[in-house]
Amino acid sequence: MTSAATVKDELRERPRAIQHIERVMGTVVTIDVFPDEGEAGPELSLALARARGILHRADAVFSTWKSNSPISRLRRGEITEHEAPAEVVEVLELCAKARDVSGGWFDPWAMPGGVDPTGYVKGWAAQRALDVLTASGVSGALVNAAGDIASFAGPGLTEPFRIGIADPSARGRLFCVIELAGAVATSGTYERGGHLIDPRSGRPGARVASASVSGPDLGLADALATALVVAGVEGLPVLDALAGYEALLVAFDGTARWTSGFPFAS
Amino acid sequence: MRRAPIVIGATAAGLAGVLSFHTKPASLTLGGLSGASVTRTSPTTSVAAGPPTGQGTSGAGPTSTSLTPSTSTTSSSTTRTATGAEVNYNYGLLSVVVTVSGKKVTKVGIGFLDDGGNFRSQSIDQQSIPILEQQALQAQSANIQGVSGASYTSAGFAQSLQSALSKLHVA
Repeated sequence: MTSAATVKDELRERPRAIQHIERVMGTVVTIDVFPDEGEAGPELSLALARARGILHRADAVFSTWKSNSPISRLRRGEITEHEAPAEVVEVLELCAKARDVSGGWFDPWAMPGGVDPTGYVKGWAAQRALDVLTASGVSGALVNAAGDIASFAGPGLTEPFRIGIADPSARGRLFCVIELAGAVATSGTYERGGHLIDPRSGRPGARVASASVSGPDLGLADALATALVVAGVEGLPVLDALAGYEALLVAFDGTARWTSGFPFAS
Repeated sequence: MRRAPIVIGATAAGLAGVLSFHTKPASLTLGGLSGASVTRTSPTTSVAAGPPTGQGTSGAGPTSTSLTPSTSTTSSSTTRTATGAEVNYNYGLLSVVVTVSGKKVTKVGIGFLDDGGNFRSQSIDQQSIPILEQQALQAQSANIQGVSGASYTSAGFAQSLQSALSKLHVA
């Protein structure tokens, strides 16, 4: 085990991340918190516990893999929206907004088997978990839900978080690096391809190998990334109407298109 | 804060000899403050120490691996190895072993892997882990805090790696 002296030395030398790993929502969510004073106080412990609670609650309510979850019961018509927990109404309202701003390219109501907000929930839950940490007064925080990332500030006093964008055509390589301000989500045909349903045909379909969307809110970024994989270049104009959201599309031939403000690291 | 660029000195080591398939009770392990311990070997030692015994790590670490002392002008050429925290990944538990020479990351490998003995996951592990090692070296050279679009396995791998590098003061 690490000696106490080693830990103290590290705390003195540099800002220390408190790293936490949560296995939830069928994946691994990692939480990195950079405490204000380099020490984890009771407020931070409480905030971490609340953040974990948010993730597990989202899993319990929205998992389409759990046959007795409220979303599964809703999909089978056993309960109505208003008999479901309050979060269900909230998320479906947010999904409806995302459907509208995406020009219909993101549409949980077009999924086979009934309404399926899965493409929104992971980012929404990670963003809410981050917001709890942010409110606790930390100097920086990062919540990474298997590649969909919500962040506040950065790892040090001035520099932003730097995030690699995976290369969809060469697993194990990075396509580029971005400087994160807020959230980034990436969807692609290389992960869970089955959820990329083209709402216009009702069948699996993708027009680019991957789409990454950065912006203030991870829930919407997640939905837009899913939409853009299906829509391809044709979908890029939907971002023009959304302040603060930027996108990078990587085509199957490895070429890329991006919006003018995409935050590539210099 | 102190931040030194990391130069990759070598490609990731092969997997032979660093994979092990233990059975142990699964437990959630926190990285960072409760993470790994550090071993040091002198620059003239040709055989790196095995993984430290903290966090329940045991058995087949990167033993009998020869390391050539750095020939760069880095002020410290001490070879140091740390084992990252054991973390949950999609198929079980893993921890990452990282070796640095001075500030150079020279090797990234698996120190501990428990996928429950499932043949299918062993096959996936053996395909994906060399890729993850390569990605880890590239990611560290790019000085990043995460990857968007990464696979599920890589989240656990990156977390353990980060905890190991933190112990070595190079990330």
